[in-house]
Amino acid sequence: MIVPVGTLDDAPLSAALRELSLSLKLAEARRVAQLLGRDPTDTELTLFDAMWSEHCSYKSSRAVLKRFLPTEAGNVILGPGEDAGIVELAEIDGVRWALVLGHESHNHPSQVMPVEGAATGIGGIVRDIYCMGAEVIATLDPLRFGDPAGSNGERSLEIAREVMEGIALYGNALGIPNLGGDVVFDACFDDNCLVNVVALGLVRADHIVRSRVPEQARREPYDFILVGKATDWSGMGGAAFASADLDLAAAQENKGSVQVADPFLKRVLALANAAMLELARRNDAPIGFKDLGAGGIACVSSELAAAGEVGIELDLSLANLAEPALPSRVAACSETQERFGLAVPARITDQLLRLYNQTYDLPGISEGAGARRVGRILVPSAGEVPRYRMVRGGEVVVDAPIHTIVDGIRYERDSRDGTPARSPTPLRTQGRDLGEDLVALLASPHLCSRRALFQHYDSEVQGRTVLRPGEADAGVLAPLPGAAVGVAVSCDGNPRIARVDPYLGGACAVIEAARNVACVGGVPAAITDCLNYGNPEVPEVFHTFVAGVRGIGDACRGLGRMDAPGEPLPVVSGNVSFYNQSAHGAAIDPSPIVCCVGIVPDIARCRSLTLKAAGDGLYRLGAFAPQLGGSLYARWIEASWVGDVPPPDYAAIRAEIATVLDALRDRLAVAVHDVSEGGTLAALAEMALGPESRGRLGAHVDLAPFAGTAGAGAAAFGEAGAFLVEVQAAGTAAFERLAAQHGAQCAHLGEVVAQPQLHVDGLGGPPLRVPLARLAQARERTMPRLLARGVLA
Amino acid sequence: MTRVRIGVLQFPGLNCETETLRALGWAGVDGELVRWNEPATRLATYAGYVIPGGFSYQDRVRAGAIAAKSPLMDELARQAERGKPVLGLCNGAQILVEAGLAPATAAGHVDAALARNNIAGWEGYHARWVFVRAPTGARCFFTEGLAEPLPMPVAHGEGRFLFGDPAVDREIERRGLRALVYCTPDGEEAAAFPDNPNGSTHALAGLAGLDGQVLAFMPHPERAARLWHVPEDLPGPWGERRRRAASDFAALSADGPGMRLLRAFARLGARGGS
Repeated sequence: MIVPVGTLDDAPLSAALRELSLSLKLAEARRVAQLLGRDPTDTELTLFDAMWSEHCSYKSSRAVLKRFLPTEAGNVILGPGEDAGIVELAEIDGVRWALVLGHESHNHPSQVMPVEGAATGIGGIVRDIYCMGAEVIATLDPLRFGDPAGSNGERSLEIAREVMEGIALYGNALGIPNLGGDVVFDACFDDNCLVNVVALGLVRADHIVRSRVPEQARREPYDFILVGKATDWSGMGGAAFASADLDLAAAQENKGSVQVADPFLKRVLALANAAMLELARRNDAPIGFKDLGAGGIACVSSELAAAGEVGIELDLSLANLAEPALPSRVAACSETQERFGLAVPARITDQLLRLYNQTYDLPGISEGAGARRVGRILVPSAGEVPRYRMVRGGEVVVDAPIHTIVDGIRYERDSRDGTPARSPTPLRTQGRDLGEDLVALLASPHLCSRRALFQHYDSEVQGRTVLRPGEADAGVLAPLPGAAVGVAVSCDGNPRIARVDPYLGGACAVIEAARNVACVGGVPAAITDCLNYGNPEVPEVFHTFVAGVRGIGDACRGLGRMDAPGEPLPVVSGNVSFYNQSAHGAAIDPSPIVCCVGIVPDIARCRSLTLKAAGDGLYRLGAFAPQLGGSLYARWIEASWVGDVPPPDYAAIRAEIATVLDALRDRLAVAVHDVSEGGTLAALAEMALGPESRGRLGAHVDLAPFAGTAGAGAAAFGEAGAFLVEVQAAGTAAFERLAAQHGAQCAHLGEVVAQPQLHVDGLGGPPLRVPLARLAQARERTMPRLLARGVLA
Repeated sequence: MTRVRIGVLQFPGLNCETETLRALGWAGVDGELVRWNEPATRLATYAGYVIPGGFSYQDRVRAGAIAAKSPLMDELARQAERGKPVLGLCNGAQILVEAGLAPATAAGHVDAALARNNIAGWEGYHARWVFVRAPTGARCFFTEGLAEPLPMPVAHGEGRFLFGDPAVDREIERRGLRALVYCTPDGEEAAAFPDNPNGSTHALAGLAGLDGQVLAFMPHPERAARLWHVPEDLPGPWGERRRRAASDFAALSADGPGMRLLRAFARLGARGGS
């Protein structure tokens, strides 16, 4: 069907676009006609609608990302641009192994249909990893929900429960260990939850597959194969949905935009894909492999071909459609889950189809599923422009120079600083019982135990898990069991900091993720980010985005690679999610979320964060700072955003990380925990309690020297980044030497003691003495209540 | 010397094949995958069988119910009756129970079920480390001598052994088919959560079948196959062993608690069954 874009006035064009459920702007629709030199078909308009959505085109963000983020370093095998990034892991017995990193958001779908939204969020990102030729070895979920005690509290908790259910449903069934992530509750997410997901893959460097038609296609005929679930209506318009304000009324209509997950089929597909990759290698057949996400068949085929600088021709009538009458625009662009696109030499097509359809019996696994040859690669002759052609039987539904489809569009967005002015008043802690404040913080939704949540996730399937969620600041896997090498991974992002200071919100996310990885002996190797912001067309919002990206970039350069001086910590992949705000106009607080992966040279260095032995020394690596801006203490206890966020000092942080890594290597450190939300006292309490709050060893520390300079509140609860380190009694002198060698600021706080209590001197007034039993009870009681149906905290 | 070959059944939706094969290798036998649509006759060549964990056929109807009806399982039953050892782990255990191979008080009779976890009024999937041991009087070939508490993880939604008929209860007791029970870190049989993680009848974690050559076991020994698998903060002697090995990769690479069971299975396979 031709849409007469060229001759329609604004009102009828607008109506025509609405009729097709497209979110293209009028000018964009006319630009399509201009590019094609004629009126477009409805399928072409739908295709451009997906390709030009913010979700696919990064039209608002690309220039900013390119400008600020360092993406190159010696350990990067593949930077941003394809489905996922790849970094070096280790060489073992002559084989080079690499890690694949991807980060995705599924915010709007999860707000509308939390179970399906969260499940398909995992489904989407793991496909990105699989299609690099990798095995998926972990996922993590950074989650942001509304305030449980707020006006929308019941709904927020319902969403939290259902998101958790969706993650468990999909991840557990697919057999991928969940290594954690984090959970934040805040009123700014009342109408717009954030469900991000990180996936980690493992691949031999010589088995990496690219998402493009290989060079070999110029020397022999290549086919385009579609594999997986039968294409249906589901997820129609998903890309546009992710790129618009989340208006709740419209959200109900948008339920059709949320895809339907099928982890059962995906599990068999993963087995079949692995066999397919082996078959291709055995036949010396270079292939292109890409998953279907937003924009469906049209997007995957055009991007595969364009990346290989060739054309492609598809016939939709050859595809497995759930219903034969599916309109072409739906068949071409729907976001049906569990599908992959392949460009393979025609000589292996039959073998490959047999593998999927008979050996792994996809049609028997899921009705209508299977692998079909639906097109072929068109190699342009010299001087000819590669074309994208899609037909259905005799009818041409898309015909365009391929670059017009994939080049996308760019917008220069305006940016204006609208960060709220900071109150200069310092927080007053005189007369407060800081011990009671600690108990209250541990019982708050922010610091309470996440155990009730993690126990719904399988964190040990695949038999590689060394440290589970909650046992330490980062999850750790032995990716190649039998070899000593480990992978540490942590996700972080503190919206309170980002609200007070959007630039430091980005920087601190990188720093905290890197610190967490170092806590278990991991050398930070790379990061992947997910940038969750409001409407980029609002200059004040766009400003926070630019500031956050700048912060991430500066932190990556400031920290750098510990094992390659002068090189930045590279950003190898990421995702941008805009329009996170309700139709009422309230944007979420800026939420840059960063995942850092670290390489652990020997998993024997990985220790849990729990205190190990009475008599051991307790040290703090990192300067105290008087600022409480953006801290949980200020927000939770005082309901205030007071003041500045403590600024990071990259040289100091590098020195602290180097000290921790060496102290773990030399077996001086036996437990390490980073100081973040809740400050030094919360960190100390967490070390004493351990992952299940069963810890029996206490601590006796003196904070007087710091309370004197930073103030009692900041000494106890300030969030200036640091490490708390338990050092073997016999190793304290060696540890202090190590810190001095690296130039790290190192303070001896006190000792681990046999009495099960936190004993803190020097905060003014009588010493704090808080029994561990009390802290344990406070910390364990909240999450089960939050997750229990119909019960509010 | 050729190694003993073990058939590892792969039904669609299972997802613990890889680590199960790896752990069998550590136990000194060679596991080989047998895909769901391969000819069942292939099974006859193996010395023993493992059905790994996962979600076969998406847990449709009941966990394990569909796989239990497959031609592979008919052949497996024939091989088991000839005395070859069969170990079902998690979903594999559910499949064995649904197939009537455990407890198998009468041939082909399904007289047990694995019901939804019941944890203090709450139902559903639950993952945690637990302790198991063989109770006195157990006559399962896999679990002889496993009297000390062994820690390993459970991760399932339907792990509560149930018997409809009290006669079956008595028969299980009489024949010593109660192979492994959940216990406290000190070894006391665990009736209640959290040491009994799902409310299982008689604290059952592993139910034997036939003459003791079949074991339907809900926990995951393959995830406790190395000392480094054991959580550092776990109470009891295994936790202590884990803490002593910290900082030493060679020590951490020693057998974990799950290998006690897997090695017993491998030995049984090597002897050609009972």
